[in-house]
Amino acid sequence: MNALLAGHAMRAPHASFGSGFAWAFRRDIALAWRHPGETMLVVAFFVLVASLFPLGIGAESQILARIGPGVIWVCALLSAFLSLPGLFAGDYADGSLEQMTLSPHPMSGWASGKIAAHWVSSGLPLTMLSPLIGLQYGLTLDTLGVLAAALAIGTPVLSLLGAACTALALGARGGGMLLALLALPLFVPVLVFGAGAAEAQATGLSPSPHLSILGAGLILAVLALPSAVCAAIRIALD
Amino acid sequence: MNWGYFASPATFYRLAGWMAPWWFVIAVVLGIAGLYVGFVVAPTDAQQGEVYRVIFIHVPAAWMSMFIYFVMACYGGVSLTFNTRMAAMMARALAPTGAMFTFVALWTGSFWGRPTWGTYWVWDARITSELVLLFLYIGFIALANAFEDPRRGDRASALLALIGLVNLPIIYFSVHWWNTLHQGSTVKLTGTSMHVAMLWGMLLMAFSFWAYAIGAALVRARAIILERERRTQWVRELAAT
Amino acid sequence: MAHTFYLAMSYAATAIAMAAEIIALRLRRARALAAVEEERDLETQD
Repeated sequence: MNALLAGHAMRAPHASFGSGFAWAFRRDIALAWRHPGETMLVVAFFVLVASLFPLGIGAESQILARIGPGVIWVCALLSAFLSLPGLFAGDYADGSLEQMTLSPHPMSGWASGKIAAHWVSSGLPLTMLSPLIGLQYGLTLDTLGVLAAALAIGTPVLSLLGAACTALALGARGGGMLLALLALPLFVPVLVFGAGAAEAQATGLSPSPHLSILGAGLILAVLALPSAVCAAIRIALD
Repeated sequence: MNWGYFASPATFYRLAGWMAPWWFVIAVVLGIAGLYVGFVVAPTDAQQGEVYRVIFIHVPAAWMSMFIYFVMACYGGVSLTFNTRMAAMMARALAPTGAMFTFVALWTGSFWGRPTWGTYWVWDARITSELVLLFLYIGFIALANAFEDPRRGDRASALLALIGLVNLPIIYFSVHWWNTLHQGSTVKLTGTSMHVAMLWGMLLMAFSFWAYAIGAALVRARAIILERERRTQWVRELAAT
Repeated sequence: MAHTFYLAMSYAATAIAMAAEIIALRLRRARALAAVEEERDLETQD
């Protein structure tokens, strides 16, 4: 199945970043749609872990409201992390990744398409679900808004960073734990600024410095990381 | 000058062999000078008393932790661009020393924080970023050794080091961005408000650590060469002597 | 002085870390040389 789809790419008439992006994006979205288990797992994990904290700490509303932004961010981060291995594992295993590398489309195109599709099937649902979880923690509406905005900007950065780490660790010994060691330290600045934005709003300060830095990080990530992901895939396939 | 000459592991092995001991000598001499200035010449601090003298280890170690990461990433970049083995081996040689200095910076910072701030640990921006740096070093070492093919490990870890470079400006500027416990930079390129003897103590120790790092990295690089090139003729003959 | 403890822990940890690194380096070199000799002996045995 995957080989057929990859073969189609090789016959595409106009090989460009855009067509490669669109092809990979559509393909991965279709795959996620047909096998929604992965996305459901991400969402279920997010909700489950976010529910663990009130159960463990006690439902005192002041404490929950205080820790809410940070906890929700950590849950989103861990959920996004869990979905990372699936990004390249299937294609690496059945040889589609190699075929896609040989296609006339520039590599950054289809790689970015895959990452974008990954975000749509993991980061985006988390972002949309975060206000509901935030209500559970008793966060105010304006804080919920900033939290969702921060997640909307931050989760694509996590997908990009995570994709680079996943590509680097393809086929390595140590599996998931190695990936955690690589990805989670790189996630920390996103977490600090993302949770910081929501916390600033909650304590009455302006979230815009945090959101601005997050936005700058997103721009930097979009510009620089696709090439890094491509380099990492090439290293993995050599 | 044919720089490619030094890219050959055999040449580098000999060069590192006679250079390394001298770097350690320099490190010891500068270290003694730095500690002398730090403990005998520099006066007692008005606010902190004697405990401030941790600064002669803490700040140089922190500087080295960042500088070594930068050099390691540069070697990584060179190894990826020119596909050289030796640059990749130098990056691998630097990583454990960098991790050591990062640990020392965190540990000494912790033991300085306890008597002055009242706590061993605080989730301050700079301290957190330094902790992230430690994990970056560990991740680099883990990734480099995670593959059967050492060249794959070389390339993957080099790319990881380059991606992680973004953490260095975060560490550096974190004290400006956040108003938290860790003090701002007292030593800038334009000058310093610090007492001159304290400054000299710090600088001497920084250069001592730098010389030590070079010596340690050269010795480790030699061991890595022996491990990687053990099937070559010149290494075989070397071990025979 | 109360603060001697903190100074001592800091300088001692640094000294131990550096000593540990040097020792580890010597061990690594010895192991590498032993591995070279072992492989060479294995080959000459054939």
